[in-house]
Amino acid sequence: MSFWGQVRELVKKDLRTEGRSGEVFLVTIPFGVLALFLIPLALPNDQDLLRSIGGGMFWVVLLLFGMTLTFRHSESGAQRMLIAMLGVDPVARFAARVISSTALLLAFSAILVPTVVVLYQPVAPPGWPQLSLVVLLVCLGLAAIGGLAGEVTAGLQNRTVLAPLLVAPLSVPLLVPAAQAANSLSSEGSILVPALITLFTVLGVIVIGVLTARSLEEASR
Amino acid sequence: MEHLLTFEHVAVRLGQTPVLHGLITEVSAGDVIGLSGPNGSGKSTLLRAAATLIRPTEGKGTVLGADMATAGPQTRSQIGMLAHEPAVYGELTLLENLEFVARITGRPVARARELLDAVGLKAAANRRANHASHGMARRTDIARLVLTEPKLVLLDEATAGLDEAAVELIATVIERTTNAGGAVILVTHDAAYLDSVTNRRWHLSDGTITEATA
Amino acid sequence: MKSRYIFSGLAVAGLAYGFFLAASHPPDQLQLEFVRISHVHVASAWVAFLAFGVTMIAGLAWLATKRFVMDHIAAASAELGVFFTGLALLTGMIWGDAVWGRAWDWGDARMASTALMFFVYIGYLALRRSILDPEIRARRASILGAVAALQVPLVYFSVTLWRTLHPTPSIRPDDVTMPTGQLVAMLTNLAAFTLVYVVFTTWRTRQISTEAILEARDASELAPAGRTIEPPTLGPAT
Repeated sequence: MSFWGQVRELVKKDLRTEGRSGEVFLVTIPFGVLALFLIPLALPNDQDLLRSIGGGMFWVVLLLFGMTLTFRHSESGAQRMLIAMLGVDPVARFAARVISSTALLLAFSAILVPTVVVLYQPVAPPGWPQLSLVVLLVCLGLAAIGGLAGEVTAGLQNRTVLAPLLVAPLSVPLLVPAAQAANSLSSEGSILVPALITLFTVLGVIVIGVLTARSLEEASR
Repeated sequence: MEHLLTFEHVAVRLGQTPVLHGLITEVSAGDVIGLSGPNGSGKSTLLRAAATLIRPTEGKGTVLGADMATAGPQTRSQIGMLAHEPAVYGELTLLENLEFVARITGRPVARARELLDAVGLKAAANRRANHASHGMARRTDIARLVLTEPKLVLLDEATAGLDEAAVELIATVIERTTNAGGAVILVTHDAAYLDSVTNRRWHLSDGTITEATA
Repeated sequence: MKSRYIFSGLAVAGLAYGFFLAASHPPDQLQLEFVRISHVHVASAWVAFLAFGVTMIAGLAWLATKRFVMDHIAAASAELGVFFTGLALLTGMIWGDAVWGRAWDWGDARMASTALMFFVYIGYLALRRSILDPEIRARRASILGAVAALQVPLVYFSVTLWRTLHPTPSIRPDDVTMPTGQLVAMLTNLAAFTLVYVVFTTWRTRQISTEAILEARDASELAPAGRTIEPPTLGPAT
């Protein structure tokens, strides 16, 4: 089967597995929404304060809770062996993981946005649809970083705590430009530079993931 | 005749622990090799090395004409392996597991249902793998082997926990493989079963193979 | 052996001279005496960036050549990098408190990014500690090092891209806005700290390599794994 054919089948399998297990839609996403709900309860009842932090809360919750979604795959040894023995290209496996995680992160974002709007009532910056491009890039970058972190920590006993420690700071080059883009739009500036920085980060991580996919697969068999 | 598998002074370490050393042997078409040895002697490691899932740390090995140290997905796709645990995705049904294998290896998808019926899982085809018994999952694994038609088949305690009918299925897979010019290496502690299906015997002890007359 | 002591001596002498220059130049017009902390701060930050760059390059060199000395250099450099990042953050907070009136300012993107770089490399060291197999450890760490090094240019460019409280670079190719005395002190400390980094990285690399040799020697004396299980001697209950 062709490279993209393998990617397609793996993505379908991933999304079908997720649809059946409900781990993302029944656990991760509600947990993220709950976090958005809890934060104002720990702050003074100040609508202006909440309005000003609403946008930032979106990015932080997307990053912190979204990352757990990206290394949700804790495939068993037998499943990893199966994929290797079926002759699946390790790069196809990485690509499929990034694509399926990006799709789930976009769904997560789609739920977070109205939640933030209702709970924090931020002022929508002019040209806010442009932010959707930044959201897409952030989701893609987080999926790639999480996928890499998942591979690098595959099989380790402390994976559930080590992987977030690796992903969180590495995602900052996504978080800061994303927040900067929203600020730029609010002051009627351009999102070009922040978007380019995000794009650079995403491309860099994806290139590293592609170049090292085979090597990482060997290190985890 | 080109050998399907060769070991020339192959050694394998897992981390710093030496597991196998000084392996010198080869496998040809038609061989059905029974691999025995005490627990912890490295039988699974030998099979994983033959499957190119781990690389030799010394020596040179070849599998299906490719160097074990560098063999990639193309070579691996011609090797079939049943490990201790069945390789199925819990959230997919038994049929979906097999259809996934069919699609990703470019085989006809209809063959998945045919083979699932042939291994006696017609009624359980739509059961999710994590709700299926070990025996059902193992039969799905066996169907996968038949579907992918590998040239080299590696069976690691594949008969453990199986009923008579399923054990017979394994024997059928062995026969199909050798009839098609392939070879099989089989690990089991069932001495009687080894006697009935194998034509060569390897005994693994102290990290190296001793060949015994079958 | 002789060169090791010569370099160490030069590093110590360089540090002593750098501190002397930092302590003796006239105070800054705006920052007064507190400008002296900046020499340690800037030199530490420079070495932190250098160290993480070396970690990335050495890791990639391991991937390309499989020579384990490259992995040992990467590990040693990361350890030094964590130390110097911590030192840069600490001196930065002292400087900030003295000059801006607050030790930490969230409007300062570079400080925040440097702190995050610190955590990235803590994670890198934690990953290395979690993996016992030397080859798997080298492989995964080198890939993580390459990804982590993507952050280094971001930290540097954040000063110019995001207007923050942090001073814009005083030393640019086309213009130097620092008084001569301060400039000489800063450059001397940069060179001295770099030499200290080189000396310590070399020592630590040698130590890690020696530990690896000893481990491999112990492992070669190990019996094959199968010999660790013996026939049982448990009999029926009496």
